[in-house]
This record gives sequence, C-alpha cells and structure tokens, in this order.
Amino acid sequence: MTRISPETPAGAATAASAPWSIRLRDAVVRYPNGVVGLKKISLDIEAGEMVSIVGLSGSGKSSLIRTINGLVPLSSGTLEVGGHRMDLARGRELRRLRGQIGMIFQGFNLAGRTTVLNNVLVGRLAHTSVPRTLVGAYRQRDRQLAFEALDRVGMLERVYHRAAHLSGGQQQRVAIARALAQEPGIVLADEPVASLDPPTAHAVMGDLRRINRELGITVLVNLHLLDLARGYGTRLIGLRAGEIVYDGPAATATDADFERIYGRPIGDQDLLGGQSAAPTGTPA
Amino acid sequence: MTALNTAPRTVRSAPARAITPPAKPRRPWRTVITVAITLLVVLVFWSVKVDWARTANLPADIARYLWLMFSNPAWDRVPEALWQTWRSVEMAWVGCLLGIVISFPLSFLAARGIGPAPVRLALRGLFSLIRAVPEIVIAIVILSVTGLTPLTGALALAVNGIGTLGKWGYEAIEGVHPGPIEAVKAAGGSRWQTVRWGIWPQAAPEFVSFWLYRFEINVRASAVLGLIGVGGIGDMLTSYTQYREWPTVGALLIVVIIVTIAIDLTSGAIRRRITEGSKARDLA
Ligand SMILES: Nc1ncnc2c1ncn2[C@@H]1O[C@H](COP(=O)(O)OP(=O)(O)OP(=O)(O)O)[C@@H](O)[C@H]1O
Ligand SMILES: [Mg+2]
Repeated sequence: MTRISPETPAGAATAASAPWSIRLRDAVVRYPNGVVGLKKISLDIEAGEMVSIVGLSGSGKSSLIRTINGLVPLSSGTLEVGGHRMDLARGRELRRLRGQIGMIFQGFNLAGRTTVLNNVLVGRLAHTSVPRTLVGAYRQRDRQLAFEALDRVGMLERVYHRAAHLSGGQQQRVAIARALAQEPGIVLADEPVASLDPPTAHAVMGDLRRINRELGITVLVNLHLLDLARGYGTRLIGLRAGEIVYDGPAATATDADFERIYGRPIGDQDLLGGQSAAPTGTPA
Repeated sequence: MTALNTAPRTVRSAPARAITPPAKPRRPWRTVITVAITLLVVLVFWSVKVDWARTANLPADIARYLWLMFSNPAWDRVPEALWQTWRSVEMAWVGCLLGIVISFPLSFLAARGIGPAPVRLALRGLFSLIRAVPEIVIAIVILSVTGLTPLTGALALAVNGIGTLGKWGYEAIEGVHPGPIEAVKAAGGSRWQTVRWGIWPQAAPEFVSFWLYRFEINVRASAVLGLIGVGGIGDMLTSYTQYREWPTVGALLIVVIIVTIAIDLTSGAIRRRITEGSKARDLA
C-alpha cells in the first residue's frame, strides 16, 4: 500500500517531537505491601542521553523505569519529564504524557493473535479517539507513522503477519516500532534483550542505539549484562537496594566499578559475549 | 526434585539427611461435608418408598415401547418434523443472538480491572442467579407475559445465555496475558482502548468458541422447551406422545437426534479449529 523508499530521510516523521529530559528529586517508591523499591533518588538525565541502568535482581531497575512513565506512582518526591510534572499528572494528562514515552519490555508484550500493524498502531492510541479505536479506523497519518516505524527496524514486510508468528528478536523489533510510532521524547526499555540469543541481543541493542543517535531520542535501558551496559550506553547508572551507587560515563566504567554495584565479584555470567559491543557507525 | 530423579540411590543410601515436609493442611470442613453428604444419600434411599417390584418390569416395558416407535416409523411425518425442527433451531438461534448481544458488554463490565467493583459484583451475582434457574422455569415465567409463542422460548434461552456467556466471558477476559494490556497502558491508552487492543485480540477466539457452544446448548434446550408448548419439535413430540401415536413419535425422535448430532458435530469442528488454530499460533 505505502512503499517507503530507502531514501526516506532518517526520522523525518518519527522524531517529530523533541527529546525529553528527566528530573527526579528525592523520589521514593513504596509498594502497597511495604517494600521500598526506590529510596530517595535524585537524578538528572539530559535530553538525548543513552543511559544503561544496571543492578542486581531486586535492586529497583524496573521500579525506576516504570516510575518514569507513571506505571508505578511516586510515594514522595517529584518527577519531571520534558518539563512536565509527571508525578502530578492524572487521567487524560497522564495518558498524554505517557503517549510521549515509549516503553519496551523483556517479554515484548505484543498481542500475538493480531497483526504486526495493529500492534504498532497501539503506539498511536494516545492520539486516537475512542470511537476510532474501537473500530480500528486509524487516520492515514497514524498508519503512515506505523509503516515508517516498521521500516526503521526492518520489519516492514511483516506488517500484515500475525505477531505470534515472528521470532523473539522480530517481536522485540515490532515492539520497538510500537514505541517509535509514538514519536516519543523518551524510550524506556526494561531488560529488552534478556530473553534473546547473543546475536539477536546485539541487533536489538543496535536498534536502540540507532534511535538514540539518529532520532536523538533519550533512551534508558535496564540491563544486567555489563558488556552490553558498557558497550551501548553513554552513561551508566548503578542501583543497589533502591539507591544509586554509581553514576558516570559507561565506556570507562571498570570491572571494579561493577563489582561495587553488584557487591560481589563479577564473572562470566555477567557477560553476554558474542559480537563486539564496541560502538560502530558514525556518532550523531 | 532433580536430585530425586537423577540419583535415587544416593537419596536411599543417605537417610541421615532427613527432610521435614510441610504439615499437611487440615481441612475439617471437607470432612464434615463429606460425612454429611454420605449420610444424606443413605437417608434418602432409605426413606423414599420405591416400588422395587415394578422396576423388574422396566426392561420389558422399554423394549415394548422401542418396538412400537422404531419397528415401523411413520416416515410420511418426516417433512413436518423437519419443519418443526427448523422452528426449534430458529428459536435456538434467535435466543443465542440475543444472549450474545446482551452478555457481551456485560462480561466486560463484570471483569476485574474494567468495571467498577459494585457493578462487577452485581453482575456476577446476576449471572450466577440466572444460571441457577433452568431454562424451562424461566420460560414458564416469561410465558405469563408473552404467551405460547416461539419468542417465549427464544427469550428464555437468551436469559439463560446471559448467565452462562457472561460468566465464561469475564473468566476469559481475566485469563488473558497482562503484558499486552500493560503495553497499551504504557503507550497512553485509556480504559476502553486497553480493552480493545490489549484484551480483545487475546480473548476473541475464546468468545467466538463460547458463542458456538452456546448455540449447541440452545439447540438441545429448544427441543425440551417445546414440551411446555412454545412450538417447535418438542411441542410436536408431546402432542403425538399424548395421542400415543408411537410410529410418529419414533420418526420424530430419529429426526431430532440426527439434526442435533449434525449441528453438534459441525459446530464442534469449527470450535476446535478456532481454539487449536489460536494455540498453534501462540506456539509459533
Ligand atoms: N508491584 C510490586 N509490588 C510489591 N513489591 C514490588 C513490586 N514490584 C517490585 N517490587 C519489589 O521492589 C523491589 C525492586 O524490584 P524491581 O522489580 O524494581 O527490581 P529489578 O532491579 O527490576 O529486579 P529484576 O532484575 O529481578 O527485574 C523488589 O524487592 C521487589 O520485590
Ligand atoms: Mg526488573
């Protein structure tokens, strides 16, 4: 239906909104069962950064990511995204802000029984009225954005396939396209490659790096493998027991730094290996 | 577990490492209920006055009636029987459609996470109340308003259908994977957008399968409903039984059984295709 030529300028339509910054002040997350996910965290992330977040299981990585798009509410403290007070937003305003923040999950979270296109169009729901949503009558511009997002991750030929027919790596690419279709200011990824094999993991991490460099989108990625964290992030944040215990450039973080974040010696299980994770391509 | 499977000898030869399984949960109520039901059954058999002598004649009686009905069925009644069966199937069909149209929105409102708690509880109560009353009783109640017409039968089936379809529906909705729902929420989707693109693509095959199954139930039930005189094959069957025209009754029974089995087989095959198809898709 819509052929997208490879010459389409990168990000002509998928980076319409400007990248967003993130500002957390004394942010506390206490779950209803009393567990404290985040303990008084203060953090500034500039627009356009690519941040790797590492920490042991239970250190609060998911809590941090999910706080930023309001899936987990703050118990106290403040959160600003792109200059908007996320922690005060409710209802329609909260949904509008979430619409500007793409989210990528470890389990892809696609609706397997429907098409790739319908899954990517979920990224346009924040801009689509409920009547249009119910009958699936998306506007032409929204479809166009979905096609472009799929083209960017190399999944355009699969647009009318069922999502469940795709491999894990392809499903994660579709999920990235769903986030890109939002024209987001921020993309959050919670362990996006934890269920993928090493080459596919590198390919998906490469996609995330590309959307950061080419579209300028702020990207936060939770990872538990330190070579991925070091190789793909420009900045590294280490969490332990809900607190930030490391914050610095990713490339120069030493094994000793990781041992301090993890509180134990690092070993082979903390490395993915495979294809070199060294930065490739030209910086934006 | 694995230790037991792979090295049973080690386990047997090392009785020193005694394990203490958790205490078996005590369920006093279960025992009380089991004893009570057993007593009840014994009491009932003991107190009911059954003329055991007459049961001796039963096999002979059954054989005699079977001979009367099926030795020479009145084949010339088959066209009328088919016509009356068609009326029964129509009753089943209309009842099924009405049931679907009403139960469909209600099952969403009754599902956890969609409808407000009071609405949810009220609907669930309504569904179980309806299911507790047999179609024939509902028909007798409706009868007093609408009279002896096939519509009465259809309405009775519709009401009963709301009870079963409503329950199956909300259970299917609550059973879907939470991942796609979270993805829609994270992209800024509203409640009904979440229902449409997070839940429905997952639950749709089950819903269609329930609808077909309900139609099968209705076909069987509509024949029974005819017994109270609302028309259709059941009505015809009662009349000829009262006239003791056994060859006609035989022909009618043959028609009813063949048509019911045919509909069951067809609908069952379609349902299997739907559910197996969706399973195959999930595995792919
Ligand atoms: N919904 C919740 N309700 C209650 N406690 C929670 C909830 N989600 C997380 N927690 C708790 O908060 C703490 C931080 O969890 P979080 O999921 O943020 O860790 P994580 O670093 O993402 O771990 P993992 O690497 O295992 O994903 C843990 O102790 C966890 O048990
Ligand atoms: Mg996590």
